[in-house]
Amino acid sequence: MPGSNQFLSRKTIFAFLAPAFILISVFLVFPAFWVIYLGLTDQALTGIKAVLPSFVFLKNFRVALGDRFFYNALKISFIFCLGSAWLGQALLGLVLAISLYELKGFWRNFVSGAAVLAWIIPEVVVAYLWIAFLDKDFGLLNQMLGAVGFSRINWLYTHPLLAIVIFNTWRGTAFSLLLFSSALETIPPAFIESAKVMGASLIQRFFQIILPQIRAILLTDLILITLWTFNVFTPFLLTGGGPSFRSEILPIYIWRTSFKYFKLGYGSSVSSILLLINLGFALLYLLARGRKKHA
Amino acid sequence: MKRFGKSILFIFFSLCVPAAGCRKQEEKSSVPAVQILENAVPGGINSDIYQWYLEQIPGIEKEMGIRIELVPAGIRDEDFKARIALDLKGGRSADIIGFDQFWVPEFAQAGFLLPLDPFLPSWPDRSQYYDSMMEMGSFQGKTYLIMRLTDLRMLFYHKQMLADAGIPLPWQPKNWDAIIAASEKIKQKFPDLIPLQINAGVEMGEAATMQGFLILLYGAGGELYDQKAGKWVVDSPAFRQTTDFYKKIYLDRKLGNAELVTSPKAREKTFEMFSKGRIAIYCESTWFYTSVLKPGESWGIKDRDEKIGWAKMPGSGAPGAPEFISLSGGNGWVISPKTKNPDLAWKVVARLNTLSSLEKLFQKQAFTPTRKDLAQSTVVATQPFIAQTAPAILPFTRSRPGLPDYPEISFYLQLLSEQIITGKLTPDAALKEFGRSVENIVGKENTIQKK
Repeated sequence: MPGSNQFLSRKTIFAFLAPAFILISVFLVFPAFWVIYLGLTDQALTGIKAVLPSFVFLKNFRVALGDRFFYNALKISFIFCLGSAWLGQALLGLVLAISLYELKGFWRNFVSGAAVLAWIIPEVVVAYLWIAFLDKDFGLLNQMLGAVGFSRINWLYTHPLLAIVIFNTWRGTAFSLLLFSSALETIPPAFIESAKVMGASLIQRFFQIILPQIRAILLTDLILITLWTFNVFTPFLLTGGGPSFRSEILPIYIWRTSFKYFKLGYGSSVSSILLLINLGFALLYLLARGRKKHA
Repeated sequence: MKRFGKSILFIFFSLCVPAAGCRKQEEKSSVPAVQILENAVPGGINSDIYQWYLEQIPGIEKEMGIRIELVPAGIRDEDFKARIALDLKGGRSADIIGFDQFWVPEFAQAGFLLPLDPFLPSWPDRSQYYDSMMEMGSFQGKTYLIMRLTDLRMLFYHKQMLADAGIPLPWQPKNWDAIIAASEKIKQKFPDLIPLQINAGVEMGEAATMQGFLILLYGAGGELYDQKAGKWVVDSPAFRQTTDFYKKIYLDRKLGNAELVTSPKAREKTFEMFSKGRIAIYCESTWFYTSVLKPGESWGIKDRDEKIGWAKMPGSGAPGAPEFISLSGGNGWVISPKTKNPDLAWKVVARLNTLSSLEKLFQKQAFTPTRKDLAQSTVVATQPFIAQTAPAILPFTRSRPGLPDYPEISFYLQLLSEQIITGKLTPDAALKEFGRSVENIVGKENTIQKK
């Protein structure tokens, strides 16, 4: 924010910010640096490297960049992010928000209530619900498909990636929906009403009026859900990364190396790469926001 | 801005207050207590062992004047391993842990286990244990684990199917060609069945390494880890024979079904198929016979002892290969070095390891004994399968290289076999990729190729 604050002295501001700084340092900054440090060692959970880890500099990164399972996880993560965060949560959230904007009363409350419900249920419970829903023999989905004459499908096996994309979309759309709904509220109704009077179609109204008004919020939403989706671990509860690594997103790959093979150093180095990717996203966001301001 | 600062302060203090409030409440008691952690829960994994503990503990508590707290867990083995590694690293683990023999080296190296050697000279039961079994609980000359049970690996077969295919019983192949010849006969007689399964693939996990790749590799006279050189072997004639054998049985002759062994829940499906007589010959462990096929269990076979035969797994038949081969694992008890009272913990371990106590465990679920008096006891004699296989196979059974890098290399062995049996890579290409993967794990200087 440009301009200094007249109400508080610089000292008071720092005093108020100090607790936040301390918390952020202890819980965010320090662990992040610790992960970077660990990533440069061959620290393990067991074995001689648990007691006497040595400094290996960039060896872990070299190994990661030469490991096809790393690339597989990276690819799966991007597809997962594109499918569930962008096409799923953001697009669906936007469509829902715009439809609800025109809608009033019971249905509006019902749809947003249902979406928020999906958002506030603990993740482990949600994962269990989805396993129960998708199960081949007892799942509701297959029972319904069976009732109308389709053959049963073992979803988590035949379409593991699609399953976790839909799961994560279902889980997270509420956030985008809420954000877009409140953004739509800020558009002066007169804009849309006069456009309607002038005979603008729905698509014209969307691109000419709504989109320019909510662009900043759209950007914020995209960056936030991209970061969250990239870091999410819950799909593990559905597929465990399998079968045959077909749903192994990057966090599951990190888990596998760190807690299955106990290579904490290597896992940390891949975590650092994940951190870098997230920083890259954040940078894009800042750039885009900066450009918009000057435009 | 003011409100923002205030809310931050509020959050900060609301976080601090409960943290200050929860001071640990130490339970004071004059009776010394010992905690035992075991991956066993009632109605779940290892429920037999859990029941056995419940029956044993009151007696031990009375006898020794102590309190024993059993901490149950009911999770997958590898998750249990991660849990105890974190427990031990944090220095807050149970005093005694039910532990897989195979984890000893990496935990011992990290200083997570108490060496038991000081207690052994005055332990009356020591002389009863086979040296090979004490060896399996040791690492670099020190003993860390007392083996309570072990297992063996061999070929199981449906007697009737082999008889129908014209194979004389009892069947005992002398080399790999004899296994293939018998399987071909079964295939001719029953074209819809799977004549032979030697495990492979990532989905099968450790079962694809132990009763799959390694039993073949050792059977071809090969090694995975060269003790003398201190290096991991990534290519050798035995490696080539093993990969060729996989290719032969799964691809060339279609004696095994690659789709089955690489699909999810492959192991459970295999159990089901074998139980229903859809697989004729299967290489598995003692546990498969005593637990999976146990009459009354979900994959149990009624009249199991009459219907199912077993044969020693032969070596490849090539010069330098062993005549027969088996692999063993097992588990027992270890003590945390952070225990407050090591002597007491040891006494509890010794008490759990007495003949009468192990006999009771055997009655809950049969296993291959690790000590002589148990092997000869009347309790074991009631289980002819154990009584016969133990003396026949124990003399030549071997174990896996117990080194910290093994679990990951094991994964790449599974991948290697998967790529061959699914035809994704030729044995040669798959072996080269395996070599590169192992080099990535242990470093090129710690690998060796044998011509």
